[in-house]
Amino acid sequence: MKTLPLAAVVVVTATSAFAEEARQVDAHEHGVGQLDIAFDGNQIAIELHAPGSDIVGFEYAAESSDDRAAVDAAVAKLAVPLDLFVLPAAAACSVVQASAELESEDAHEEEHANDDHAEHDEEHNEADHAKHEEESGHTEFHAEYLLTCAQPDAASEITFTYFETFPNALELEVQVVSDAGANAFEVERDNPKLDLRGMF
Amino acid sequence: MILRLAFGSLMARALTVGMTILAIALSVALFLGVEKVRTGAKASFADTISGTDLIVGARSGSVQLLLYSVFRIGNATNNLTWESYQDIAARPEVDWIVPISLGDSHHQFRVMGTTTAFFDRYKYRSGQSLEVRDGAIMSDLFDTVIGADVAATLGYEINDPIVVAHGLASFTEHDDQPFRVSGILEKTGTPVDRTVIVSLKAIEAIHVDWKSGAKTSGKSTAAHVIREMELQPQAVTAAFVGVKGRLQVFGLQRSINEYKQEPLLAVLPGVALQELWQIVGIAETALIAVSGMVVITALIGMMATIFSSLNERRREMAIFRAMGARPRVILGLLVLEASLMTAIGAILGLMFLYIGLFIVQPLVDSAFGLWLPIDPPTLREVWVLLSVIAASAIVSLVPALRAYRLSLADGMMVKI
Repeated sequence: MKTLPLAAVVVVTATSAFAEEARQVDAHEHGVGQLDIAFDGNQIAIELHAPGSDIVGFEYAAESSDDRAAVDAAVAKLAVPLDLFVLPAAAACSVVQASAELESEDAHEEEHANDDHAEHDEEHNEADHAKHEEESGHTEFHAEYLLTCAQPDAASEITFTYFETFPNALELEVQVVSDAGANAFEVERDNPKLDLRGMF
Repeated sequence: MILRLAFGSLMARALTVGMTILAIALSVALFLGVEKVRTGAKASFADTISGTDLIVGARSGSVQLLLYSVFRIGNATNNLTWESYQDIAARPEVDWIVPISLGDSHHQFRVMGTTTAFFDRYKYRSGQSLEVRDGAIMSDLFDTVIGADVAATLGYEINDPIVVAHGLASFTEHDDQPFRVSGILEKTGTPVDRTVIVSLKAIEAIHVDWKSGAKTSGKSTAAHVIREMELQPQAVTAAFVGVKGRLQVFGLQRSINEYKQEPLLAVLPGVALQELWQIVGIAETALIAVSGMVVITALIGMMATIFSSLNERRREMAIFRAMGARPRVILGLLVLEASLMTAIGAILGLMFLYIGLFIVQPLVDSAFGLWLPIDPPTLREVWVLLSVIAASAIVSLVPALRAYRLSLADGMMVKI
């Protein structure tokens, strides 16, 4: 059930002003998101990066009202971490901070271009923008959470209702750091549970 | 009663039984030995680095970065420029950063340039620090600290001069700048044992006259001139990073991985080890499968000897029957004999294993840096032994059933 990795295409802008710009684009695999979990004392920090196609099913810029509504709904769902990643009740975790947003890779490039080449703003015209979006319009949802838990040791199993909420998501690559060191796991739709007993 | 009978019967055929037991013992020793090497290797790998939050190097694969930076296996695809290194060091999340520079060698050992912070920050075996056995860590530009294996193999003492070779397998040596052994480290069981550690500046110093990769002929810069030079490295091979708070690890990792000015890669050592182990895991499974096959072969060999003994024991069986033994007893006797043989074989195998471990342990340690612990058998190993015995009982059922049938018929018939 794995989707093929989409080798992201580097977009070369025609303007000579950008000839010295370093070009790089992240790998982008539909169906597979990244989840990073850090345990430190009573605190658990969680960071999620998921392709737009996993969360809302499309990656073009939302323009119709339906698409906008879908993005808004997804962001709202992503802002409630304990409904997506269910921790055992015994851990008594509560959300301190939660933020979710949609970011596109173009936004990165644009931002970067503006930082470095502010003086070339006029050359970086609207036509270039449109081209960017057509050719490498991958978008990514990014969410960050901070939890505090009364009994963090009890948080040894996470149930991923994330896969029920977002039917297009297939897999999460999970990195965990705790007192016991760092480790990597894969959580798949077929078995949406993560056993962290080895990490305490 | 039947146990004594089985034992007596085995003793009567001591030679063939002994051979069968030997085969089983060797196969069991091999199987458990593979298991020991596997767990020993895994533990030894996992123990190599601890306390480091991130390893940063040129963008390649996480396993490759781990292998060259920690295990000194393979080479870096690219270096990490000093500017990027400074950028990372200046980030607010970074608690400490230790650069390493590889690429030169001394005999068969790698030379690593680093800062003295390496000795404080590098931890192995869940938080153990490096200890200096003799001397002190480097204080002068041309001081080196050598690992325990380097000292043992090359017979170096404190204050011995050493010459560092340019590159990894080259004949040209940096003989114009001899180094001095200032310290010898305690044995760690990690690749540090096989490393010659110099300061980052020393790596620059030995390359002062080597501007184009080959030595500039005719002139060599005197040591005292080099000492006055500003030996600022242009690049390092990789860097070990510790973060202030664990919650910041992933943020720092992501920002290094998305660093625009240079393609860099930051990995969590534990995650990279895990990935490495997934690759090695396939070979591991194959190794276990092969040693499992050897055990099965030994058991089938045992079955064959029992089969061939059936004919010569026909008379014996008939006598048992005449004495009133039921066919079931004959079956039980054969299965019991087989189980006894295997049990003796298993215990003997365990003894072989421990004798072997005692002999091989120092050799493997010095040759591969792999420490095989001599521990009492684990629960898992006890289960392996028990299941081998159970398997032998099942296997022996085949000849035993034949004996059962024969003894029914033989009992009825008058002629022998």
